[in-house]
Amino acid sequence: MDAYQPKKDVIVGILALQGAFAEHQVALQKLPFQKKVVIVLVRVADDLARCDALIIPGGESTTIALLARLAGLLEPLRTFVKRKPTWGTCAGAILLAQAVENTKKGGQELLGGMSVTVARNGWGSQVESFEAPLLVDGLRDPDQTFPGVFIRAPVVMSLDPKPEDPPVEIIARLPAGVLPHAQKLVSSDEDDTDPRDPRTIVAIRQGHHMLTTFHPELTKDNRFHEYFVRACVIPSLP
Amino acid sequence: MATPPVSTTPSATPAANGPATSAAVPARSSTRDGGSSNLGTFGVKSGLAQMLKGGVIMDVVNAEQARIAEEAGACAVMALERVPADIRAEGGVSRMSDPAMIKSIVDAVTIPVMAKVRIGHFVEAQILQSIGIDYIDESEVLTPADEEHHINKHNFKVPFVCGARNLGEALRRISEGAAFIRTKGEAGTGNVVEAVRHQRAVMSEIRKASVMNEEELYAYAKDIQAPFHLLKEAARLKRLPVVNFAAGGLATPADAALMMQLGCDGVFVGSGIFHSGDPAKRARAIVQAVTHYNNPKVLAEISEDLGAPMVGLTIDANLKGGRLASRGW
Repeated sequence: MDAYQPKKDVIVGILALQGAFAEHQVALQKLPFQKKVVIVLVRVADDLARCDALIIPGGESTTIALLARLAGLLEPLRTFVKRKPTWGTCAGAILLAQAVENTKKGGQELLGGMSVTVARNGWGSQVESFEAPLLVDGLRDPDQTFPGVFIRAPVVMSLDPKPEDPPVEIIARLPAGVLPHAQKLVSSDEDDTDPRDPRTIVAIRQGHHMLTTFHPELTKDNRFHEYFVRACVIPSLP
Repeated sequence: MATPPVSTTPSATPAANGPATSAAVPARSSTRDGGSSNLGTFGVKSGLAQMLKGGVIMDVVNAEQARIAEEAGACAVMALERVPADIRAEGGVSRMSDPAMIKSIVDAVTIPVMAKVRIGHFVEAQILQSIGIDYIDESEVLTPADEEHHINKHNFKVPFVCGARNLGEALRRISEGAAFIRTKGEAGTGNVVEAVRHQRAVMSEIRKASVMNEEELYAYAKDIQAPFHLLKEAARLKRLPVVNFAAGGLATPADAALMMQLGCDGVFVGSGIFHSGDPAKRARAIVQAVTHYNNPKVLAEISEDLGAPMVGLTIDANLKGGRLASRGW
């Protein structure tokens, strides 16, 4: 760490329009960093202006997008995402995607920011929601599986970075044998054992952004929150 | 306030176990083909309710209303044939809706779809689970099918929400497997007084329990007819161990904000939207009220020019259709 830099707090915003934002707050409060992590619940543009980074929680993406528009937050959010680290979980992941399949009639407003196409409710209805253990390199104690909680989760359909975009890094995939059959790939020979099948991708990182289709905030394991602050937020600070 | 995290082990999945407590709610789950994941755990059941927090769940009777609700920002819709106000007016036995009608609503929207079954009618619940509904409301608004037993909700992969008037009733429902609790209120009246009464009762009883020692908690559990381990958990968390919404009689953005300030995690609005003068506008205003419930300035703006609210009923001995909240045991 730069010895000349004054010790400054890290301000992480959580978009608090609808959904499981309080759970992210609890997970962030317990992080073991030297820098103090200050949490701001973002409901209006002034809240967002204070933040170094943003978490978009799980919830209903249509509801969150509408509330963002009504609160005059949509354009400030799009500008924010272009410049500062952002992490989307589940509904938040949908909003960060550049394209989405299975949207409501008339389409859905997105923030963009990550070069990925996802399908909403890619597994089907709630009775298909599940928990699965994930092996994730890059987390603290990578040998310990991370409890993935998938609730009406989106599915990654393709990664499509343009040459000028930052590279996309796959952080986590589903364990073997778990595949969203409700979601067929357009151009696929349907080889379920293909390890490169994009539908098994559940966490990616691109530049300072991160996307998870599951809900780390619903567990007591805060290693993903630690990872986001350590790998995405702190390196981006001036 | 944060709802507690789910457990990480599939074999013991309490709704709300702190680091030092044992499993509060048992898990029932089935395993996916590969054996490496678990479907329908209590974690994903209560987790969906956590995703609905800060949102509004709206009663709809057809696909067109469901689309209006989705466009207005509903976080889920409740599919039913008659809203509570009509059930009151028309009388007769109220049952689960036609599965074809429910499926047409599922096809029309991308948000979660809920539907109601009669108290104790586990076959209606089996039918709704088989058509892939996202949440079941075992509801006092329909005519009860069993005046002694509720559904054993652990036996289902689909999660359940149940109504409660007080802490004991809420904890009995959770012990039967409900992953989500709402106040009963008095549905179809447009009168919020009963929802307020029920929410205040739950919060006051939790506050009382939170300062009790174990001996007192044992006696209190007997008194309110609640399982001891769930009472202890609620006392420790100072809230219900699952998500808690307001329901029954909400008609205005101010009603919704009132229930949020009383500690609810979100709201159900039944007859209040589609029995009002301008449903789309009112629905959107209530959605905003639940997000900005602590900001009177925003509440004032969104409460302007909403058109006529639903006609309200006073809740007394002459209430047409009687008191629905007294159903449930």
